[in-house]
Amino acid sequence: MSRVLPRSPWTWLVVAFWVVLLLFPVASSDLFFQNMIILSLVFAIGAVSLNIISGYGGYVSLGQSAFLGIGAYTVGLLSIRVDVSPFVFVPLAGVVGAAFATLLGVIAMRTRGHAFVILTIAFLLLTQLVLLNWPSFTQGSKGLSLPLALFDPSIQNWPFYYALAALLALSVLMSWRIRRTKLGMGLIAMREDEDKAATVGVSTPTYKILGFVASAVFLSMAGGVYAYYLNFIDPRGMFDIVISVQIVLSMLLGGRATLWGPVLGAFIIEPLNEFANQSLGGGNSRLLIFGGLMALVVMFMPQGIVPFAGELLEKRRRRGQDAIVGARVERPLVIREREDAPVGHEVQPGRALLDVRAIEKRFGGVRAVDGCSFVVPEGSITALIGPNGSGKTTAFNLIDGMMRPDAGEVWFDGRRVDGLRPWRRAHLGIGRTFQITRLFREMTVLENVVAPLRSFSWRQLNADAVSGPEAARAEELLEFVGMRRYRDEKARALSYGQQKLVELAQVLMLDPKLILLDEPAGGINPTAIERMGEMIRRLNRQGTTFLIVEHNMPFVLGLCDPVLVLARGTCICEGGPEVVQQDPRVLDAYLGEDFVLEEVGV
Amino acid sequence: MTEFAQAIILGLLIGGVYALMASGLSLIFGVMNVINTAHGAFLILSAFLTYSIWTATGLDPLVAILITTPAMFGFGWLLYSGSIRRIREAPAAASVLLTFSLALVLEGLMGLIWGNTSHAVRPAYFNQSFTVGDLFLPKAQVYGCLVAIAVLVALWLFLARTWTGRAIRASAVNPQGARLVGVNVAAVATMTFAIGVATTGAGGSIVGVLYPFLPGSHYLWISRLLGIIVLGGMGSLPGAVVGALLIGVGESLTSTYISPQWTTAVPYVVIFLVLLGRPQGLLGARLREDVAAV
Repeated sequence: MSRVLPRSPWTWLVVAFWVVLLLFPVASSDLFFQNMIILSLVFAIGAVSLNIISGYGGYVSLGQSAFLGIGAYTVGLLSIRVDVSPFVFVPLAGVVGAAFATLLGVIAMRTRGHAFVILTIAFLLLTQLVLLNWPSFTQGSKGLSLPLALFDPSIQNWPFYYALAALLALSVLMSWRIRRTKLGMGLIAMREDEDKAATVGVSTPTYKILGFVASAVFLSMAGGVYAYYLNFIDPRGMFDIVISVQIVLSMLLGGRATLWGPVLGAFIIEPLNEFANQSLGGGNSRLLIFGGLMALVVMFMPQGIVPFAGELLEKRRRRGQDAIVGARVERPLVIREREDAPVGHEVQPGRALLDVRAIEKRFGGVRAVDGCSFVVPEGSITALIGPNGSGKTTAFNLIDGMMRPDAGEVWFDGRRVDGLRPWRRAHLGIGRTFQITRLFREMTVLENVVAPLRSFSWRQLNADAVSGPEAARAEELLEFVGMRRYRDEKARALSYGQQKLVELAQVLMLDPKLILLDEPAGGINPTAIERMGEMIRRLNRQGTTFLIVEHNMPFVLGLCDPVLVLARGTCICEGGPEVVQQDPRVLDAYLGEDFVLEEVGV
Repeated sequence: MTEFAQAIILGLLIGGVYALMASGLSLIFGVMNVINTAHGAFLILSAFLTYSIWTATGLDPLVAILITTPAMFGFGWLLYSGSIRRIREAPAAASVLLTFSLALVLEGLMGLIWGNTSHAVRPAYFNQSFTVGDLFLPKAQVYGCLVAIAVLVALWLFLARTWTGRAIRASAVNPQGARLVGVNVAAVATMTFAIGVATTGAGGSIVGVLYPFLPGSHYLWISRLLGIIVLGGMGSLPGAVVGALLIGVGESLTSTYISPQWTTAVPYVVIFLVLLGRPQGLLGARLREDVAAV
């Protein structure tokens, strides 16, 4: 997961692995093992690549062998027509694989978890079917024979061996790099909570496509090398869904979302595959072994070997140390001034930063928001109050883009935003926290805060997230909310109040002009409420506008001006705290008509 | 024109059979948010059971439904209790991987028991047809479709009229709410999975008569059924029926006017087009994602 591997034992294992891998063909001329390593390398490239979309991004694909096949067929089809070394076409195999991945990514853009798996299975079986049913181009089920490799016998299969080793090195390097960038953070954020990721500026469709392309490129190239190595390819052998399963299994067994886990898994699974084929006759026993093993891994060791071992080491390392969480929870949260102001735009107090015009949202027959209009003046701390079910949270969802209104308009900072997706609105400067905190649970506190994307650019995606200016800025924000010392803890380990603070820091990373806070004082202790209020005031003085939904009336009335009152989906009243407190419509909305009638009667 | 009408009718007849199995798949998804990718393998297992019953006793395969349906119900119950229940709290992808691994294991087991060769159940009426005007209605298809409709109606009545059926539907709409009004959601999940799998009991017996099959056929079937529920809207039972009829007709038209070897492409292409244009499917509703209740 997001664990930084302890340096010593792992580093030595990795170095030893590469030394053995690179020297093996020189030291031993055993072709059986050479073959086994070559196949393991293909699996390893597949598993490391798959890990980017599945391990980081959370989207499991059962169609990865399609990319192996696409690469193989790209090289195969070209090499029987053009008389040069098939190695020449290997980069092209990567391009073709990337093109197919992009296409599939575009189709998958709007789908979630389950549909994505279905799509990848359909893609695999459809490409196989097309190759089978198009014999004039592909020679169909007869398969393709590639030119024989005529290397000097003394170097055996070295060219294939080292080409694949190089591709594995490249895939691991890519995986390592992605894990450190904003792209990687965004992918993991998407895995943890896709809707939430969108509200912090992560344009999920783009991330999905990029993640999918990244998990296809090197695998397709490996497929090209593999085809040349085999000399013969056919659609059933190359587009075999069991190979997809073995790639997934390699990743799961070794440890998803880790750098080396998929490599380890592949070097376990492939020899097992050889064993099943050689000693057990392949076919049914191969299905039983890999089906059974995957079932066992999913049920009993879903985290995989590397994280499992990592946890053991970590436990040993931490023995005797105080856990940070728990030990210091009682300490007061300290707010410190930040060095630079969180927002750098010009504030024009009083102009309408957010202008909501007659928005409506219906759920079946329920009109949750029903022609609601209000304005949030720039530089204000505006409250949005109202009884339960009056449409406050729905209004938030319509403003930040989690939902689209059925009617009405939302204007922000002088432009209409109701048609924009959540991440576009985040880029424009709308930040939002949730009533029940929604941090990315498996990410550390620091990673949670660096995950947001302020604006979309390719350079930003490739920007270093875990060190450098982004990380420094995140630490500053954590300092501001008093959570810096928890930076390396998993978000799920924090208390509810702490999560609220981290979520605030996370939103601040967007440099928002407007922050929507959904019950910032809900469920936390009175001291923390006070500090929360103080932070809001401080940020407001530095230029951030707030719109706050809150049930804690003393908190609202002491902090906010103006106060908007929502009832039955419309804004029934607005004004200063004193005005709203006196308004009979507000009493009516909160306490019901009976109460008012009696009052009138008395 | 006759050719066209013939293709439509054959498509609808087979679509009726698809509808039964797709309903089971969609029911499981709707209630449990699990895509049972082993549904195709269960179907082939039931076809093999039918084959064995038929060869051993000569019992009509469509009567064998009375045995295969409860057998698959029990099988589903056991599988759920023994494996899938363990990962109820795991991320969604885990259930797909688990059911898919079950499918592979089943494929391997069926290969060991019955062999990896093509099998077929051929009762006497196998190659007879009714003739209506210029149209031929193969008896096997007609009987198969009628039986499928009968089982489907029984399933709908069960869901609509019995307390358990209502509990299942309630759990699909709102598990927390169902729990509040006294539904044992965990038990309902087991029941739902078993009922969903039971549809492959009847379905498999019918399929055994209509098509030759071998253990590896389950990929074809699961793709077809997935195509149906994606088209109809995942989790929607009316959607499963509509999707099944459309896919049945689509395959039949493709076979008549393009080429039989491209019929298997129909579900794949449908999956691509639906996910691109209307990811929620024809009758699937975009549910309110209750942000506060997550």
